[in-house]
Amino acid sequence: MSTPSTPHIPFVDVRHLTLQYKTTEHLVTATHDVSFHVEKGDRLILLGPSGCGKSTILKAIGGYMKPVGGSINLNGVEIKKPGSDRGMVFQEFDQLLPWKTALENIVFAIRETSQCSEVAAIQEARKWLKKVNLSKFENSYPHALSGGMKQRVAIARCLALKSKVILMDEPFASLDALTRQKMQEELFELWQETKFTMVFVTHSIDEAITLGTRIVMLSPHPGQVVAELNVDLSAYDSRNHPELIELKERISRILFKDQLDYVI
Amino acid sequence: MSTTKTITLNNLREEYEREVTAPVAHQEVKIELSLFERLYNISALRKGFILVLLAVIWQIYAVNLNNELMFPTFSDTIKGLGQVIQSGELVNRTLTSLKVLSIAYTSGILLAGTLTVIAITTRIGTDLLETLTAMFNPLPAIALLPLALLWFGLGNPSIIFVIIHAVTWPIALNIYSGFMGVSNTLRMVGKNYELTGLRFVFKILIPAAFAHILTGLKVGWAFSWRTLIAAELVFGVSSGSGGLGWFIFEKKNQLDINLVFAGLLTIIIIGVVVENVIFKFIEKRTVIKWGMKF
Ligand SMILES: Nc1ncnc2c1ncn2[C@@H]1O[C@H](COP(=O)(O)OP(=O)(O)OP(=O)(O)O)[C@@H](O)[C@H]1O
Ligand SMILES: [Mg+2]
Repeated sequence: MSTPSTPHIPFVDVRHLTLQYKTTEHLVTATHDVSFHVEKGDRLILLGPSGCGKSTILKAIGGYMKPVGGSINLNGVEIKKPGSDRGMVFQEFDQLLPWKTALENIVFAIRETSQCSEVAAIQEARKWLKKVNLSKFENSYPHALSGGMKQRVAIARCLALKSKVILMDEPFASLDALTRQKMQEELFELWQETKFTMVFVTHSIDEAITLGTRIVMLSPHPGQVVAELNVDLSAYDSRNHPELIELKERISRILFKDQLDYVI
Repeated sequence: MSTTKTITLNNLREEYEREVTAPVAHQEVKIELSLFERLYNISALRKGFILVLLAVIWQIYAVNLNNELMFPTFSDTIKGLGQVIQSGELVNRTLTSLKVLSIAYTSGILLAGTLTVIAITTRIGTDLLETLTAMFNPLPAIALLPLALLWFGLGNPSIIFVIIHAVTWPIALNIYSGFMGVSNTLRMVGKNYELTGLRFVFKILIPAAFAHILTGLKVGWAFSWRTLIAAELVFGVSSGSGGLGWFIFEKKNQLDINLVFAGLLTIIIIGVVVENVIFKFIEKRTVIKWGMKF
């Protein structure tokens, strides 16, 4: 792809990343020597079993954790602290500010991170709420929204930041299967509109295949990269396409080498 | 039917599918309540009834006792209350008290706020707050009165000093535990917007911890009100204009016992109004609306 004269610089460059937690008693190594690239417009999926360090990697890209080894560069600049150029959607339902309505949550995010006027911010926020089909609930406080609605507001709020990279930590993990599928479709549609760059954490193989352009697979604790695959769901006419089923099997073989009947 | 037909779970209920009907606009179901039931459902009315009952008991007891130096009747007390309100005396005394109180209360809040902000931003600040609250929180404010007298003399500065002592520690403790309880997710959201320092404190921590802060303010208010009256009783007078506590002390010396009762009643009423009107109002507008408290 890259011409020989200008070497290709990856958009997000995770290099030999080792992350540790210090507790009072011992040191927990969450990930060991993890490397991958994220390109512009990528929908990169971090896939791995529970506890393998997916959230930890995301926190490091978010700037909330300092690597003990290796580095993360965004656009060639090393990431040192949190910033609105890396908008984050968390797994937890309590990520909306409970003292602000759905609309105010988005307005707040826009106004704190840009020079936008109040009026323009409200207009912009309404636009995003409409995109996640929550216009009717703009004046609801988070405690009066369902779990799925809260995550949709959080996604709208994050996209409204117009970050360079969007980091999503299992935003749909605690939703029921139907809502989850619907939200995956919504997210994909949003992506088609704005083509944002996204790093998406999940431990669901289906979700990874549905949403990803590239899947980075991690081994169980401490997380190490075991494989990287390219995917493109739009190349298949049906979700039951034999190649897709084969791909799923391949992924679960890689992830759970010797425990074939392991269910996630 | 009488023939033996095996009933299994499957043929017990028919299967069916149906179209859902358009949601009917929420229909109110009118339930007829008797007049008594309707009145009984009003909390203010129930409480009002208890108050009336207490007043009646008071009146009957006092009339029977027939000793107005020990226990004046309710009607005498109300009459006295009316007189001192009309003459402006009680109003002046109350205003004096409230003025001293608001100075001390706001100073206490500011001091507590500053201490907690330092405590959450620096490690030594944490130690400072923890040590100070551990030392001073158990120390009754009135115990400091002799010292206050020595340092600030007879008068308002001494009272303000002891009230600040009374309110600062409980408020600081509540704000601090509120800040510590703010979820990591919300903190990370704030950091994501690059909020730091005081902007982070005011835009994330304070609203997120508001339920705790409000509790602290309420406790602080109760402490300050009690301490104020107690301190005034002991030495409330400077230049002849003491507060409510002094009013009570003075009337006792003049043997106007019904006015002593009127003073006590005023203290109770102000306490109740602040608790049940002002703080309730703030709560409804904030933590209840936000779903932090029910
Ligand atoms: N605050 C912490 N202190 C100490 N150890 C931690 C902390 N958070 C996570 N860990 C450890 O780091 C490892 C990786 O945790 P992480 O949360 O990144 O896993 P994960 O891949 O996101 O799992 P899940 O899919 O369950 O969310 C785990 O083994 C966990 O024990
Ligand atoms: Mg996780």
